[in-house]
Amino acid sequence: MSSLDRKPPHTSRARYWRSVEDFKSLDAPRENASHGYPELVGREFPVGATEMDGATRRDFLKLVGLTAAGTMASGCMRNPPERILPYTRQPADIRPGQPLHYATSAALDGFGIGLLVTSREGRPIKIEGNPDHASSLGASGTFEQGLAYGVYDPQRGKSVKRAGQAAGWKSFLSEVKERLPVWQKDGGEKVRFLDGPTASPFDGWLRKQIALALPKARFHTYAAVSRDAIYAGSELAFGEALEPRFDFDKARVVLALDDNFLEDGPDRLAVARAFAAHRVPAPEVEGGPAHPTEGQAEHGHEEKGASESAWMNRLYVAECGFSVTGAQADHRLRVRGSEIIAVAAAVYAAVSPEGAGDVAALAGTWSGHKWVKAVAKDLAARGPQAVVTAGVRHPAEVHALVAAINVALKSQVVTYQKPVLLDVKSGPSSLAELGAAAIKGEIDTLVITAWNPVYTAPVDLHFGEALRKIPNVVYLGQFEDETAPYAHWYLPAAHELESWGDSANPDGVVAIQQPLIAPLFNGVQRGELFGAFADKVDRGAYQLLKEAHAASLGDAAPAGGFEAWWERTVQKGVLVTAAPVAVAPTLQSAKLLERLRPLKPAAVAGIELNLIVDNKVYDGRYGDNAWLQELPEPLTKVVWGNTAILSPKTAERLGVEAEAIVSLEVGGQTIEAPIFVLPGHADDAISLAVGYGRSGAEAIARGVGANAYPLRSTTNPWFGATVKLALTGKKDRLGITQEHWAMEGRPIALTHDVTAPKEVQKRQLRLIEEQAPEHTITMHGEQPSLEFTTQSAEGYRWAMAIDMSKCTGCNACILACESENNILIVGKDQVRRGREMHWLRIDRYFEGDLADPQVVSQPMACVQCEKAPCEYVCPVNATVHSDEGLNDMVYNRCVGTRYCANNCPYKVRRFNYLNWHNNLQGTLEMKMNPDVTVRARGVIEKCTYCVQRIEQARIATRIENHGKGRMLNDGEVVTACQQSCASGAITFGSLHDPKSEVSKKHKDERAYQVLWELNTRPRTRHLAKVRNLNPELA
Amino acid sequence: MATPHLLFPRWSNHLVRAILGAVGIGGGLLVAFAFSYFRSPLFTRQNEPIDQPVEFDHRHHVRDHGIDCRFCHTTVEKGESAGYPPTEVCGSCHGQVWNKSPYLSTIRASLFTGKPLEWVRVNDLRDYVYFNHSIHVNKGVGCVTCHGRVDEMAAVHKFPPMNMGWCLDCHRNPTANLRPREFITSMTWEPKAPETAESVGAAVAKQNNVHTRESCSTCHR
Repeated sequence: MSSLDRKPPHTSRARYWRSVEDFKSLDAPRENASHGYPELVGREFPVGATEMDGATRRDFLKLVGLTAAGTMASGCMRNPPERILPYTRQPADIRPGQPLHYATSAALDGFGIGLLVTSREGRPIKIEGNPDHASSLGASGTFEQGLAYGVYDPQRGKSVKRAGQAAGWKSFLSEVKERLPVWQKDGGEKVRFLDGPTASPFDGWLRKQIALALPKARFHTYAAVSRDAIYAGSELAFGEALEPRFDFDKARVVLALDDNFLEDGPDRLAVARAFAAHRVPAPEVEGGPAHPTEGQAEHGHEEKGASESAWMNRLYVAECGFSVTGAQADHRLRVRGSEIIAVAAAVYAAVSPEGAGDVAALAGTWSGHKWVKAVAKDLAARGPQAVVTAGVRHPAEVHALVAAINVALKSQVVTYQKPVLLDVKSGPSSLAELGAAAIKGEIDTLVITAWNPVYTAPVDLHFGEALRKIPNVVYLGQFEDETAPYAHWYLPAAHELESWGDSANPDGVVAIQQPLIAPLFNGVQRGELFGAFADKVDRGAYQLLKEAHAASLGDAAPAGGFEAWWERTVQKGVLVTAAPVAVAPTLQSAKLLERLRPLKPAAVAGIELNLIVDNKVYDGRYGDNAWLQELPEPLTKVVWGNTAILSPKTAERLGVEAEAIVSLEVGGQTIEAPIFVLPGHADDAISLAVGYGRSGAEAIARGVGANAYPLRSTTNPWFGATVKLALTGKKDRLGITQEHWAMEGRPIALTHDVTAPKEVQKRQLRLIEEQAPEHTITMHGEQPSLEFTTQSAEGYRWAMAIDMSKCTGCNACILACESENNILIVGKDQVRRGREMHWLRIDRYFEGDLADPQVVSQPMACVQCEKAPCEYVCPVNATVHSDEGLNDMVYNRCVGTRYCANNCPYKVRRFNYLNWHNNLQGTLEMKMNPDVTVRARGVIEKCTYCVQRIEQARIATRIENHGKGRMLNDGEVVTACQQSCASGAITFGSLHDPKSEVSKKHKDERAYQVLWELNTRPRTRHLAKVRNLNPELA
Repeated sequence: MATPHLLFPRWSNHLVRAILGAVGIGGGLLVAFAFSYFRSPLFTRQNEPIDQPVEFDHRHHVRDHGIDCRFCHTTVEKGESAGYPPTEVCGSCHGQVWNKSPYLSTIRASLFTGKPLEWVRVNDLRDYVYFNHSIHVNKGVGCVTCHGRVDEMAAVHKFPPMNMGWCLDCHRNPTANLRPREFITSMTWEPKAPETAESVGAAVAKQNNVHTRESCSTCHR
């Protein structure tokens, strides 16, 4: 029997493993294992720690002498005098040293998310979500957090260029002004615009103004990740293009057909929050559930079972790759992309018997599949509380089928609205139309504001060649990317944080976009560019935006006049518009079934290519963002680049190993990418993320990963193509954070399956209980914890609780932490040496079967042990306990022995092997948070619960009441990770208040201490992940 | 039998002892030097008048005209930084008085060109120290306690050593340095007999709910 086929041997504990190598070594005796995981564990020092390999004794002494001399010389030097430059005229609101927060918004592929940006002395340094914005609710994702890096990115385009030569914005304007009368002769028939999807009312108004000047000018819309199929699907089902809106608060059973809804889509943050609220056994109410005692446990579980299934949702995911949403699934079906439509048809046939015959051919053998039957039964049983969703990458027929299923279920989760996008068509068809017109010579001037269409366009459109046929191409882009060389005029775009504008979310909630900083690199704002074509050159984006909103108000004069209304709106950031009108469409089932009847599932021979949207660089637009590039991909934990992901079984069948570089050929196009073997991936398919392998002028993005776009065609934009795979004999060394800082396979990330058989539940609960604080007391006796010996005057006892049921592993918290705490990126080579600096990491554990595992994501930062093992090994007292239970890190005392990191059982301490911040280029220094020390080489650093935020809040409240002060309320201090988390998995507060949220979470029956047996008494407790398994499939 | 060949002559033993002794004493002296040097005004820059771009005389403004500290250092009660006055604060008076004085030409140049004045920092804490003025002032630490008799300084100089030991001295026993809030900016306030600094401080500490902290993260983050 091959080692890959076997199930994990039965043991009393759930088996957790982190990678294929790890899984294989579970049974192998430690001594016999000769490579990979065991080797790493067996090392005395972490990877990268023994860097003096090969140096001679003489070299070593030289280095020591030099270091000693350097230290002494620098120690004796007096500080150079520092200058203070006060304002000449101080702006009214600015107090040097005090942060200010401004509301703004940023749109991705047309839909906006409201933001609150922290500004220090005019520099935006931290992005948060705007709690007043319905699509954010105060949370922010990785793309939003990344904006704080993007605005300072020194690789951005810096000057207007005409035919590659530096020119001025003024000369562009005068050329437009010169040509306007010429274009106006034929009404602007030969002027075209290519924009990304947008729902911004300002863009709408600008288009109207352009139409006044050039009535025949046309707008085309293109995005690599288009929502065409959703609208086309609803047109198929209902006869009109509609936007489906999901209210996951009402959902109890969800089937996602290759839909990564927790990460994709315009409402990803709000959706994640609503979904997570129902990922826990019961609503979070006052008091919380009582801890079951031994005797009551059995009875209690039975009772709980009923109420839990009433509150808790159940997620089924059918997908090819392994997405963040898939990792959250209670049951996952591994299926190739081209087969999703058959699964949809089979589910439809099961829930709607009258149409079963018509889709029988399409459903094929899936109708009899055990998984599909069980899911359909569960969906039907829940009816109005059940819902099916489908991913944007799937064709209109799948979306139509999903709509039909939801109608059959009478699902109350989904409602329909008119789309708010100005153009619902933004797929390849729209680009094809433009290309055809260009080749026919119908276009004289093309203004491109869409992101990098030459790079993202399907390869069979030959869009670059079409552009060559156009005499005047204007490209507005933040970088001189792949499209810039095709443009006669390249205009550097102003960043989202440098521009005036607005955005709308799918419900039509409008958020104003206000700049936080003047364009750093002479950027041109969208409004200015469109204004030029509307013959409104001298107005500027701000005036135009105000005009647009004044026009939209019409005669309805707001209270206090327009100016006062405008100031209020900009300050609040969110414009309250009328509630969206829900449309109640009727399903045109006869028409739909007629369309579906002749369809058969595509039989893709061999290995199917599955292109996926990257969760770090999206379609490639964030490729130059080093923060995002260095995030570990949630499932593979690969940084800096994409990989060709396949299942262990397929890898074994093809004889390929991880890190081997293979060539992938589709339709005559060949690319090379390294292999990654990911458990849980569908067999006979390869997933590859788009957005890498860039060749533009962006130094950071260039050459990272493999460019998957050449494999993309209009017929098979995402999947469905057979890929020919060949070994090249080369090998890549991936930057993987997965196996660093491994935790020796102890029960660290715990789960509880609320509907599992009783004996399984009992075992799981006992395991959680064994890690709980009560158990520590029975094992070790009541021990005084440090808080009793060093009681602070105010009595705060800071603590955190992390709910693994809610955590999706989306990485937003890592980036929030990075942004708040001046954590620097180190690059792929240093990550390979295990030197990544992220204070907060998300451990991904696999559990169960190698082919189809369950996933637990466990965020892990310093847990602030009350009895901290790091503290008593530090020879210089650089890490000591605060009176409020923080494990303080004093950077200026640290001499870099790394004893603490070696003695830390959680492996959360990071060492500055090099002077990372010395490499920062100019503007990047501006993003540093002045409240946090920038650490130098040779210093250990780690999480301290955002102590700068605690101290700021403390001082603010301590000086209230004429210096008397008051105590902080629960929730007044929010850590960066907690603030960003869309699903609300992280709770922070003080344990001195038994009513605080964190106190309640610590007393939750799911709460446990990671590595309790070391008696470190962590102040961060984790809450075991709960699964709501379907007994029929479990 | 011939004397075995010696690599070193006999007297070299004394030399080794002398060297070892010298190294020992020298090391001790070095440590003693380091301790005294880093605490001495030579290193801490106490009492060194600092040349500023403008010959601003605190004696004249504070003592002679009785201008309150907060007139220019506006954020001392509200923020981390006490605040440096923007040039327009200078202009608000000197637009009227001494508006043609050659001493103020730098001020006028700054006002007219918009180029900020480049003051030299007198109390330069290391960048890893996060000091907050507002909490100290609101709890009753007077300006003069840390900055000395600024009203008697022609060019302002650093008054205390401002090293960690000095900070901790007060954080361990703050009462002697507390005063009622109405005298915060007073340069000459003294407790009236029979009250002592201790007794007044104790009352202020009680009224303002003062409790100092000594955890590292109080100042280092």
